Amino acid sequence: MIRIAAVGDVHVDKDVVGRYRPALEQLPGVADALLIAGDLTRHGTVEEARCMAQEFGDLGVPVVVVLGNHDHQSDQQDAVTGVLQDAGLVVLEGEGTVLELNGHTLGIAGAKGFGGGFAGACASKFGEREMKNFVGTTEAIAERLGAALRGLECDALVALTHYAPVPETLTGEPLEIYPFLGSYLLGQAIDSAPTALALHGHAHHGSERGRTPGGVPVRNVAHPVIKQAYNVYQLLSDEVDAGLVSI
Amino acid sequence: MTPQLDEYVEAEIQRLLAETGSVAEQGITIARREHLIVLGGEVESAQRRDEICRQINQHFPDVEIACDIGIVRAQAPTEVEEIS
Ligand SMILES: [Fe+2]
Ligand SMILES: [Fe+2]
Repeated sequence: MIRIAAVGDVHVDKDVVGRYRPALEQLPGVADALLIAGDLTRHGTVEEARCMAQEFGDLGVPVVVVLGNHDHQSDQQDAVTGVLQDAGLVVLEGEGTVLELNGHTLGIAGAKGFGGGFAGACASKFGEREMKNFVGTTEAIAERLGAALRGLECDALVALTHYAPVPETLTGEPLEIYPFLGSYLLGQAIDSAPTALALHGHAHHGSERGRTPGGVPVRNVAHPVIKQAYNVYQLLSDEVDAGLVSI
Repeated sequence: MTPQLDEYVEAEIQRLLAETGSVAEQGITIARREHLIVLGGEVESAQRRDEICRQINQHFPDVEIACDIGIVRAQAPTEVEEIS
């Protein structure tokens, strides 16, 4: 059994430091790792990254993250990544990592992702250069995510993105902005590998549960959606043990 | 004079909240009533909620605001979901 804690869109700045910490201190008892689905900071400054590192560093469980669009707002995403890595967080962008947990291996492939929309209402690589760049950006990210997922050898495989891979977990958001919230290309990448669970954030008004066309469970773990410090998901179940109530 | 709470004001407020560095919020909802706008959604701190209202007051002094923005709870979970 592996238990994964997950949250997204924590949007940390100095005013948020300390709010998550009491719940995070309990992590080693309830989960084997923490995955964070992007929008780690308010607007992507190095100072906010330090606040993030302080709040989510030294937790006693491995922490694996992807960046979100807010973490790109100040064009300092590389410096932000550096600060997080220095604090021991694993930052994934189109790559994967394997963790040894509880005698099992957990593979995590992560990427920020990007928009474009979903079947029936999606952008095409056609027309103006800006439009082709928009769709091309998502295509390139999705290709790297798919390759990273397919390249991991592990007992359980998890995909971690900021943008949504399916429209179901956007329910609650205005339909008009779906193309800015995710892309079916991410879902296709997730379905190209034996993924056990796909986690994303970004859609603050979305809903928690969905599935890819290929049947992979999807969970939107944006903080305003889950309304608690983190959710816990159990993979490779062999028993249900104490600590948390199983639902 | 009662200010016009039209779609342009709504769009301007949405952009103000997203593009102002001290706010940087995209998840705030704006509902127009006859003489006021109602702000909704949830943010990570009380300071950020107050800053949102301050920014709108400063840029649209004639617009009356009702602030229903909440602070997202950050307690530990009591349940685990089995994925299969
Ligand atoms: Fe966010
Ligand atoms: Fe986001």
